[in-house]
Amino acid sequence: MRQDDRRRAVAAARDQGLRRITRLTWRAGVVGVVCSALVAAAFGHDVRRTTAPSQQGTIVVPGQPPAPAQGAGQVTSGAS
Amino acid sequence: MRTMAAARDRFAVFGTTAVLLVSTPRALKQARGVLDAELAAVDLACSRFRPDSELTALNAAGGAAMKVSELFADILSAALRAARLTGGDVDPTCGRAITALGYDRDFAEVRAAGDMQPRLTGSVSPVPGWRNVHLDRQRLRVRLARAAQLDLGATAKAWAADRCADAVAARLDCGALVSLGGDIAVAGPAPDGGWRVRVTDDHAAPPDAPGQTVTVQAGGLATSSTTVRAWTVGGRQVHHIINPATGEPAVSCWRTVSVAAGSCVDANTASTAAVVRGAAALPWLHDVGLPARLVRTDGSVETTAGWPSDQGPTEAA
Repeated sequence: MRQDDRRRAVAAARDQGLRRITRLTWRAGVVGVVCSALVAAAFGHDVRRTTAPSQQGTIVVPGQPPAPAQGAGQVTSGAS
Repeated sequence: MRTMAAARDRFAVFGTTAVLLVSTPRALKQARGVLDAELAAVDLACSRFRPDSELTALNAAGGAAMKVSELFADILSAALRAARLTGGDVDPTCGRAITALGYDRDFAEVRAAGDMQPRLTGSVSPVPGWRNVHLDRQRLRVRLARAAQLDLGATAKAWAADRCADAVAARLDCGALVSLGGDIAVAGPAPDGGWRVRVTDDHAAPPDAPGQTVTVQAGGLATSSTTVRAWTVGGRQVHHIINPATGEPAVSCWRTVSVAAGSCVDANTASTAAVVRGAAALPWLHDVGLPARLVRTDGSVETTAGWPSDQGPTEAA
């Protein structure tokens, strides 16, 4: 009988510990989500303003090079 | 769907000539309105010759931080990016060097002044350098080191061409070509075969001037030259492309360099850097894959990275 009580007490303590860990894990998760939201709100506009990395880091080559043409141009590219 | 270019406007701006082409004739008037508004805003932000511009105020701030507009921050950011990408060969802190050469007013007045008296006292020196410009994009604040003076001419015009072409194409749903003093940006659907561009020394030259005709479909094409924006100081011929390493007009084996790139501001960055770099520009343009046409002072032509070969006769120097 006394042995059964001890087992029940151990089981109850284990259950209580697990519940406490579950609660802590849940709260840590909530804190993480809130922090992420705050960081996103604080710096989100900077992300939008930043030019794409490829445009920031190098001179961008044209999709295709100029092609040869005959005759006069519609417009002139020269120094001003 | 591709359409034929059908309408054109030409007008004076920034001391040079603007050309606007649109693929839809009925859009021309509205497109001109878009350009007028955009260019007026850029001029108010970046002119070196307006006492009410943000740039003038910043150059006079004596090292103090100054609040700037989002537009000014965008253009300055483009100039700093150009400096970074070229290792400082295209540097926005050339303001004092160019002013010292007498280019402190609209260029028509500089040219009309004839031979000017030298304003330099003592030896010339490298420009302060772009790292002396501190831009806080988030707070829209800029601080220049006390010795630094900005000249955004190298990039602001090309940046404005990109912005105008994009705005016209997006708002009016048509193809657009915007040329500001020969710095060309295109956006939207190109006409069949592309936009035809005559590449030559001077943007004001007639469309059949010595040079080469090419077509472009997208992005930008810019030309830098030591032959056009040139004047004399104390009997010495000078021009507006400053070598930041010396603070003097660049001494180059190229008289004119034209570059095609993903945008007009990138094309201008590369063409200006190529003039400053001289012979070293050729392998650099090959390595980065930028199509370019480089004309030596003797008129001989080199091309890089897919630029169509120039079979024409050697141009007169």
